[in-house]
Amino acid sequence: MNVYVLGTATHPPAIAQRGLRLEEIAYHTAHAALEDAGVSRQQLDHLTLGACDELDGRPISSMLMAAPAGGFLTDEMKVTDSGAMALCLGYARIKSGEFHLGLVSSWCKTSKTDVEYIMRLRGDPFFSRPIGLDMTTADGLLAQAVSEAFGVTEEEAARRAVAGFERARKNPRSLQHDVPSVPQVLDSEYAATPMRALHRAPMTDGAATLVLASEDFVRRNKHLKPLARITGVGWASDSYRLGASRLRSLQSFQKAWAQALAQSGAKSPDDFDVFELESQTSWHEAAFVRALAIQDETKVSPSGGPFAQNPLFCTGLVGAVEAALQVGGRAGAVQRKNVKRAAAHSCHGYAQQGNSFVCFESVESNP
Amino acid sequence: MSVAVIATYQSDFKTSDPTKTFPEQAQEAAVGAMKSVGMTPDDIDAVVFSLAPTFFMGVADADRWSVDHIFAAGKPIFRIHTGGATGGSAVHAAHALVSSGFARSVLIVGAERIAETPDAQKVLNLIFDAFYERDMPLSTNTSVALQLSRYLQNHGLTEEDMAQSVVRQRRNALSNPHAHLKGEITIDDVMNSKPIALPLKLFDICPRSSGSAAMIVGDESVAKRFQSRPAFINGVGGVSDTYWIGDRVTPTSRTDWSSLKVTEIAARRAYARAGITDPMREIQLVELYDPYSCAGYQQLEHYGFCPPGVAARLDREHVWDVKSGQVAVNPSGGTLCTNPIAITGLVRAIDAASQIMGTAGSMQVPNVRNALCSALGGIGQFASVTIFGAEPASH
Repeated sequence: MNVYVLGTATHPPAIAQRGLRLEEIAYHTAHAALEDAGVSRQQLDHLTLGACDELDGRPISSMLMAAPAGGFLTDEMKVTDSGAMALCLGYARIKSGEFHLGLVSSWCKTSKTDVEYIMRLRGDPFFSRPIGLDMTTADGLLAQAVSEAFGVTEEEAARRAVAGFERARKNPRSLQHDVPSVPQVLDSEYAATPMRALHRAPMTDGAATLVLASEDFVRRNKHLKPLARITGVGWASDSYRLGASRLRSLQSFQKAWAQALAQSGAKSPDDFDVFELESQTSWHEAAFVRALAIQDETKVSPSGGPFAQNPLFCTGLVGAVEAALQVGGRAGAVQRKNVKRAAAHSCHGYAQQGNSFVCFESVESNP
Repeated sequence: MSVAVIATYQSDFKTSDPTKTFPEQAQEAAVGAMKSVGMTPDDIDAVVFSLAPTFFMGVADADRWSVDHIFAAGKPIFRIHTGGATGGSAVHAAHALVSSGFARSVLIVGAERIAETPDAQKVLNLIFDAFYERDMPLSTNTSVALQLSRYLQNHGLTEEDMAQSVVRQRRNALSNPHAHLKGEITIDDVMNSKPIALPLKLFDICPRSSGSAAMIVGDESVAKRFQSRPAFINGVGGVSDTYWIGDRVTPTSRTDWSSLKVTEIAARRAYARAGITDPMREIQLVELYDPYSCAGYQQLEHYGFCPPGVAARLDREHVWDVKSGQVAVNPSGGTLCTNPIAITGLVRAIDAASQIMGTAGSMQVPNVRNALCSALGGIGQFASVTIFGAEPASH
């Protein structure tokens, strides 16, 4: 059973979206995705959400959010790892043959949450919480590890950060952050050595939705033009323990990629035209590019990745939207030429404990 | 592709277990399920973690903390969270992973440690909308009390009618070595228990339980290798209603909240997939998510076992008795006797599947060919129904 992307939407990003409640952001995004796909909410048979109670600020946040996100009287499920993981499950639900048309929705209002407080809550009470481990220090540890493993320097990380901001400036769906210079990045404060403040993608508020459909549904609705076909998904988790070997190995990153690649029908990263990587810092990008052995770096995150917008929990799903738009030829000013295959990466947990990939392929016409 | 239950495990449930940490609880269940059929971690392709709000225990994403303990490092794993329906949804997610061909075997595992918070009700009170509902004040108990009042009035039923389910199920739980509450009690005991939110008394309400559970599901090849008598997941159905309780009680509501009518939608979807057309004739056993004395009756009515308002009356005629009834309702004692929220739906699934696999031990009911289990979440907002069969459904 082939699985298609019929439509997508991302909410206009903001550092702090004060004029809209969280459910309004989710509603506007789901509504826009349905319009983009040319289908109605009443046609949906399922909804897969990616959301985090702690970041949303309420227990069982899907109680409030499911209906605005398109889920009234549909079969709804929520994963709590990341928005991109919801896409992996949503794909599997249609692939199972039990469902035919659904939404995958995720959101995050980082502006209303003390994100680092939530990250510290993720620490186990015996070892990591007493030492104050949070997202910043975990990312700093990853930067140290990949610096040693791959010889990544602060200068390289600075150049990558600037390049990320520059690509993001061209993206019509980005927040349009000011682009710093390499010296400005290198002069910015250390957040956690060797990671500096401007090595990091600024957090934003945002939301993303994809409309997924089975091949049966698409065949029955000849007037619809799929945006992309999903050809493979993969995800994996590393150990909870933040040992240096765990950080250096990028094991779950590699496993998730191998799994998705094997399903996609492609043989290597060279067969892909675009990689949307969730690089929360430019140190991450340096490590990911090496782990994938990407030779042509113009393929990497043409959207700007998290430097375009970074609604933390759903940044990976935003990347999936960007990848789908690339194979559909609808990425606008950041569109690359002749994109046949694109992969979207996402990560979650302390220093990327979990990683996922979703592979997209272009669709010539209704199958 | 048919999906089979290959192994199950559940711990004994109690208010708290200070001898284990959360990951150790999860590990107990994961190891227990694998060992029961001779599987090793290498035989597991993917993991689904069943975990509802982490506010109860105070460690966000505690599933991640458990990764090494449940042998999930290097494997695909995600966490499902649909409130009280989490365990049921986790089974459905695992079913999707196998039936899509993504995994040949999936470990569904979870743990609950609700006693870590001094008062779980204070956490649950936060699920209500901060602007419109929370100040009423709504809690899980007061909201169900409103629901029950309307249900009793609509059908001319009494509090004593509801108390029958508590008496029957605590008696059933005497055969369940894992149950939290059990014993021979009377309707008078229920009626005389402490008022909580009338018409609900203490005995009308489930306990807060801690413990862990796991289930392993797989495709035909894995089932053939490890389990000579699997239970097949023949039908799954889920539904999510509107958040707003007020929109579920008006004359124009699509679902009638006072009777949990939303559960009918989930059952209809599961029956269609399982090929069930006459539940009373085709289903021999049900394990219902019934955290309150009324919830089992409401679901039996919407699952097609009897007309609306009749389930409690049939209880008087012992129709739901394990030994002499027509349908064995909650031989385990159900949620009324054991409620580890994060995994209650999973435990319901385990108790239903075990009956088909012949591994229910002292709870075993003879000749169970089809069994139903349910899970509910979010004040009757989320519902899931799963149909297990001794043979795979012919889709």
